[in-house]
Amino acid sequence: MTATWHADDGALSRYVAGDAGPVDGASIEQHLLHCPDCRARIAGHIPARPLDLVWDRIRQGVEEPRPSPVQRGLVRAGLSDSDALLVAAAPSLRPSWLLGLAGTLGFVALSVAYGGARGLAFFLLVAPLVPVVGVAFAYGPDVDPAYEVGRAAPYPATRLLLLRTAAVLATCLPLVAVTSLVVPGLDAAAFAWLLPALAFTAVVLAASTWCRPAVAATAVGLGWAGAVGTAAVLRDATAVLTPTLLAAYCLLGGGSALVLRLRLRAIPPPGS
Amino acid sequence: MNSHIAVELTGVTKRYRGTTALDAVDLSLRPGITGLLGPNGAGKTTLLRILATVLAPEAGEVRLLGRAPAAAAPLAEIRRRLGYLPQEMGFPRSFSCFAFVDYMAVLKEWSAAAPRHEEVRRVLDLVDLADVSAKRIRALSGGQRRRVGLAQALLGAPDLLLLDEPTTGVDPEQRVSLRQLLSAAGERSTVLLSTHQTEDVAALCDRVIVLDRGRILHDGGVRDLVATATGRVWLADAPDPGARASWRTGTGKYRNVGAFAPEGSERTDPTLEDAYLLLLGSRAPVTEAAA
Repeated sequence: MTATWHADDGALSRYVAGDAGPVDGASIEQHLLHCPDCRARIAGHIPARPLDLVWDRIRQGVEEPRPSPVQRGLVRAGLSDSDALLVAAAPSLRPSWLLGLAGTLGFVALSVAYGGARGLAFFLLVAPLVPVVGVAFAYGPDVDPAYEVGRAAPYPATRLLLLRTAAVLATCLPLVAVTSLVVPGLDAAAFAWLLPALAFTAVVLAASTWCRPAVAATAVGLGWAGAVGTAAVLRDATAVLTPTLLAAYCLLGGGSALVLRLRLRAIPPPGS
Repeated sequence: MNSHIAVELTGVTKRYRGTTALDAVDLSLRPGITGLLGPNGAGKTTLLRILATVLAPEAGEVRLLGRAPAAAAPLAEIRRRLGYLPQEMGFPRSFSCFAFVDYMAVLKEWSAAAPRHEEVRRVLDLVDLADVSAKRIRALSGGQRRRVGLAQALLGAPDLLLLDEPTTGVDPEQRVSLRQLLSAAGERSTVLLSTHQTEDVAALCDRVIVLDRGRILHDGGVRDLVATATGRVWLADAPDPGARASWRTGTGKYRNVGAFAPEGSERTDPTLEDAYLLLLGSRAPVTEAAA
């Protein structure tokens, strides 16, 4: 249908600005529905800036993908969107990793429930090493595919390592703790594993100022496996959790934290 | 254009288990695009890694953008103004193209989301990847991944841009597009372009450095290097056994690159590749297959 009249420029301009008033505004709106000439003319009355904003929002919607479930979860947990992005890039915080960890812990729980002394030894072997392995797979040239290019960026490597360590501890420790609490027969070991776990994590962090975290974690893991295995063969696996040794783990963790504090700037060693 | 010296190396040496990767290299770079050529193992990647502050030299002095990268504060200041594309670029498995560049922007200290996302979209636009920004990186082609790497290097329009093989795996059309992009970057920044593609150097650079066994063989204008091959390239019906390199061209004639063209031969204009081959002439002759 062709309109018999056309809105003048002043009316179109007032309509675009929202100043046409209810009667004139409704009239122009109805007219625009049927008049292609006025629809074509009204574009010239719309300021460019709002159009840019609309276009930017459309582009944003199309080009910016929704953050990953891990990122969204981290933001809901209180992290800023930038910290969530840095944490989500850690291999040991991927959903597949966490699913693997949950499966491993399920297997450990079954071993404890039905495996007697061997099951307990298995729990004591695995539980303190879970955060150690998580930290080793959170940062470093062996596990981070973008490590090289990240090293050339100004973001402090120490902050990145500690941020990911905190995220690893916040996800791993509750999983192990829940496992230890739901499985019967662990007694004091249900809580005591936490001390070597934290001490070994601190050792790996401190050692990573000299070497790669994966190397440090391997050394710690082998040492712990040797200790638990020897204790299990000679007497009882819980011998690695005597009060004296628990105090030693506290000292080890504290000493490592001190070393880490003193050597923070050395992560990773220059020239590596 | 800023005419300050962006890179200054004095006697820089780096060794790996007894092998000398860089041997007392002296070098200074000003704004503009400088090509870095050299055979595999010449030390190009080591040089770029030292300039990118991810590797420390064993000996010598390094000054980047007017600062020595020894202490934490100047190091961070240098890294804020640095863009680096390594030879082998890895990506977190699950990240989309946009998320990865966004991640790198956070590492480059763009913490506020809105301006950071705007900058990410800008650099993805520059490398022609806006259409695939939501795709996972593992679903992209090799050339597209290379361009993702380049996009992160361009974040924040760095004053010093270090690019290790940026056009590897990129199709000819995209290569031309990247040349336009790099030539624009060279208008305001210092760009060091390490590559095996002599045609990229010839198309983009006014200066070329040829590195061999950790030492600088040539440092000067591209035209000067090409001029050293004048009169030493000729076309013939048969390969010349005495030539440094000889291969059959599409016209059926053999292109001989050698000492000097024989009397009466059909001489042709040398390319940068010819001059480069002649400069490395002390090495074993190149066979037709290798050429």
